[in-house]
Amino acid sequence: MLRLSSLLILTVFLGYVSASYEDKRCKCVCPSPATVLNNTVGSDRKLYIGNVPPNMCNCDGLILPRVGDLVKGREQEFCPRCECKYENRNTTIIKVVVIIVLWVIMLLVAYMGFLICLDPLINKRAKASYQEHTNEDDESTLGGPSQPISSRGNVLNRVTHQQDKWKRQVREQRRNIYDRHTMLN
Amino acid sequence: MERFPLKTSKMATTYQSVYKKGTGSSNGYSGQGGDDDMVSIKAGPHRAADSSSASTPTSHGTFQLYEHGTRYSDASAHWDAVMFSGMQGEGDDIPGIGQYDDFHTIDWQRDIARDRMRHRYIVKKRQDSIWDLIKGAHDAWSGWVCVLLVGVCTGVVAGVIDIGASWMTDLKFGICPQAFWFNREQCCWSNDEVTVDHDNCSQWLTWPQVFGESRDGAGAYIVSYLFYIVWALIFAALSASLVRMFAPYACGSGIPEIKTILSGFIIRGYLGKWTLIIKVVGLILSVSSGLSLGKEGPMVHIASCLGNILSYLFPKYGRNEAKKREILSAAAAAGVSVAFGAPIGGVLFSLEEVSYYFPLKTLWRSFFCALIAAFILRSINPFGNEHLVLFYVEYNKPWKFFELIPFIALGIIGGCIATIFIKANIYWCRYRKYSKLGQYPVTEVLVVTLITAIIAYPNPYTRMNTSQLIYLLFNQCGISNNDPLCDYPRNYTDVNSIEKAAAGDGVYTAMWLLTLALILKLVMTVFTFGIKVPCGLFIPSLALGAIPGRIVGIGVEQLAYRYPKSWLFSGECSAGDDCITPGLYAMVGAAAVLGGVTRMTVSLVVIMFELTGGVRYIVPLMAAAMASKWVGDALGRQGIYDAHIALNGYPFLDSKDEFQHTSLAADVMQPKRNETLSVITQDSMTVDDVETLLKETEHNGYPVVVSKESQYLVGFVLRRDLNLAIANARRTMDGICGQSIVIFAGPTQSLPPGPPPLPLTRILDLAPITVTDQTPMETVVDMFRKLGLRQTLVTHNGRLLGVITKKDVLRHVKQMDNEDPSSVLFN
Repeated sequence: MLRLSSLLILTVFLGYVSASYEDKRCKCVCPSPATVLNNTVGSDRKLYIGNVPPNMCNCDGLILPRVGDLVKGREQEFCPRCECKYENRNTTIIKVVVIIVLWVIMLLVAYMGFLICLDPLINKRAKASYQEHTNEDDESTLGGPSQPISSRGNVLNRVTHQQDKWKRQVREQRRNIYDRHTMLN
Repeated sequence: MERFPLKTSKMATTYQSVYKKGTGSSNGYSGQGGDDDMVSIKAGPHRAADSSSASTPTSHGTFQLYEHGTRYSDASAHWDAVMFSGMQGEGDDIPGIGQYDDFHTIDWQRDIARDRMRHRYIVKKRQDSIWDLIKGAHDAWSGWVCVLLVGVCTGVVAGVIDIGASWMTDLKFGICPQAFWFNREQCCWSNDEVTVDHDNCSQWLTWPQVFGESRDGAGAYIVSYLFYIVWALIFAALSASLVRMFAPYACGSGIPEIKTILSGFIIRGYLGKWTLIIKVVGLILSVSSGLSLGKEGPMVHIASCLGNILSYLFPKYGRNEAKKREILSAAAAAGVSVAFGAPIGGVLFSLEEVSYYFPLKTLWRSFFCALIAAFILRSINPFGNEHLVLFYVEYNKPWKFFELIPFIALGIIGGCIATIFIKANIYWCRYRKYSKLGQYPVTEVLVVTLITAIIAYPNPYTRMNTSQLIYLLFNQCGISNNDPLCDYPRNYTDVNSIEKAAAGDGVYTAMWLLTLALILKLVMTVFTFGIKVPCGLFIPSLALGAIPGRIVGIGVEQLAYRYPKSWLFSGECSAGDDCITPGLYAMVGAAAVLGGVTRMTVSLVVIMFELTGGVRYIVPLMAAAMASKWVGDALGRQGIYDAHIALNGYPFLDSKDEFQHTSLAADVMQPKRNETLSVITQDSMTVDDVETLLKETEHNGYPVVVSKESQYLVGFVLRRDLNLAIANARRTMDGICGQSIVIFAGPTQSLPPGPPPLPLTRILDLAPITVTDQTPMETVVDMFRKLGLRQTLVTHNGRLLGVITKKDVLRHVKQMDNEDPSSVLFN
């Protein structure tokens, strides 16, 4: 995942984007002209894609200008067999969404790695203060914000406090689901 | 007091006192001065309200209940005012009052009364200043604003999921090197002049091509196969471990839990921020991994998470669990609305399937919310087809009357498939719950993914995304469709309509492959639904029904082709053109299985006809849905969601079931014989006594009686409130010690000397619902269902005898149905 996405992002930044990706198209599917003209049964179909206004997105507007010579005089036979569809999309939204999704996944994976590998090490050092923290929090449902621990800054402390609270909740959820199997079976 | 003309009427007194919050409320037991306050806040319009309430007291039914407050005539107005102010739950109150603990049920009556008080207070204050007027207006429209925000967010999140999942699904097959964020369809967007028979275009590279091999051939096949499996495993492993690490509540479909929550249960964190994020990301990953699951059910959970999170912006909803459930109902509607592109179907789904309490106001809000969500998703246009779902189809052919027979047959088949699925899935989930298998959640996900990927790849119908498969099956065979399923040797001479034709070899091959796909999907879905990743069930059930539907459709079509002269077809199918639409059969079959699995009827039909964009096919869909529901009900009692609620033992009092036993309230109530009822007296227990009682017993609430000897009921107080109030009083009030008398109610004149008393009137519910001991349980169960009670008190000759809680009722119902009563999940 990581390898791939870094490779991909690299390609983007190297300016590899060259193909023109428009947001609108008219897409027509027709049998190949030969099938119609020779009256043979064939499954060969051709795709015609063009950039024409929606009201021109039909056989007359898109296909005849291209294959008009081949089917000259037999348009009445050829044209009704074409299916045309006008489509639009927003490439920017797609790009932004996919990149955001990738980033979120990577962030989550990184954070997961942090919690699995590094966090136990850090917590071992701060074991004492952590212990104090949890005990205090159990009572603090009754009110009163927790007392800041003097050694750390206030904001940082609040963040760790929140994080501990969240971790405890997740542990509780895990116990409910994975150990005791009381929920979501 | 002469300016208070209706003083003589009890009703008027109580009602008037409602409006006096804000002046005398901060300290509920302030003693004197109540009357003066009351005069000072009397405003013109309220006088009118007073007189009307005096003449028609029943129009304020709830408050009539408080009438007994006037027993102590002097203090009556004051008592009530104090009590209501306690319910108001605004700033100066004890923090936490009105909230609930994890795994508790809410008290609908109490919460709704609280909200009504808050509302009246705001209405009253509106006259005071412009600022209050604005606040009042904000309060009035906050419900609509909240559902608007929920709708917008749901639409956006659904768009993200759709785009992300479709990209990641195609990542299993290849990549678009020039713009990696495109899936195959988007990558080949402007590629000109390719024959459709090869789906690949030059911009899109399959994995073998990326590594320099050719597109076809045995080597390329193996490389593709390997990449498919590896990607599937990576996605599934990521999804499972993210869920395990950050938010275990994000696994599963979530609809059984949402149902339980909407019926008034508290699961802390189930609708939280982390659950939302992980559910969205995990859903994208697990859908992309090619497992046999869908994103529709989890979408309901995601929308509900959004509803819950956004409701905290509006204290009216965030702080009141009963009101919050109105927003959640609307959010559930929005979830289905974006999942199927069916706003009306979403509203009906919320009404029929998930919601418990659904007043008209909520119906309109749900409608609005679903509409907004669908509109937003439509403007994102995730599939580039101008529709909200991948498998939107449009039919225009009429159906023939005789086709009702195969449609009903499809309903019966659907009901059978659904029953097999439910039984097998519940069996497997139960096995997982009680065996060692449950200890290896991530391993299980990986094994299921591995097996699914290995079996699914060789068959093109299982290899493709399930939504695409459904689209293919629903679709009519037109010129642009080059699947083997549409291999009819037609020579296209008459171009105006597709003529009847014999099925080619491709069709028969496709039918064999589809049969295999059906078996595989059925088996894999049984094992998939319930693994610990976000997984829904709508899409697999639709596929399970669409496959047999299409097969039956092709069968009928070929019959009509072979025997055009038969009496069945002669009347209506003789014109020579193709009169049978196999795609319609696929849709009817899909509706039948989905109906059988979830036991939806109305909402299902509406969702399906919104998918087809035509009302013409309502009758076939209705026939199939009904047949399927009947068959399903005959073969197995419960739908999948109810079965999962029962398996998990959620405290869900189903309003569909009837209680048919003859037991009485006295048989169910606690305490049983030879046990004593823990009660609190209104004005003779000390703080120490109360704390000892709280330590020694584990009840969630205590009745308050006049005295231990008389056992006359005064009210009911919750354990949580009692704890909070005592702790709060110890912190904030001077002189409260263990010997302080706790006063809930009663005459205040004769206070004994000693430490100051602790007044707890504001946390006392003076209007608990009571029944007599001879009340049949049928009535009691009905009261619990319809009023949303948390407990009811049982009296005999006017004296308190015991308590029936929702837990007791649920256990009793289970016991009567010969199930294990201890399985109810409850605190």
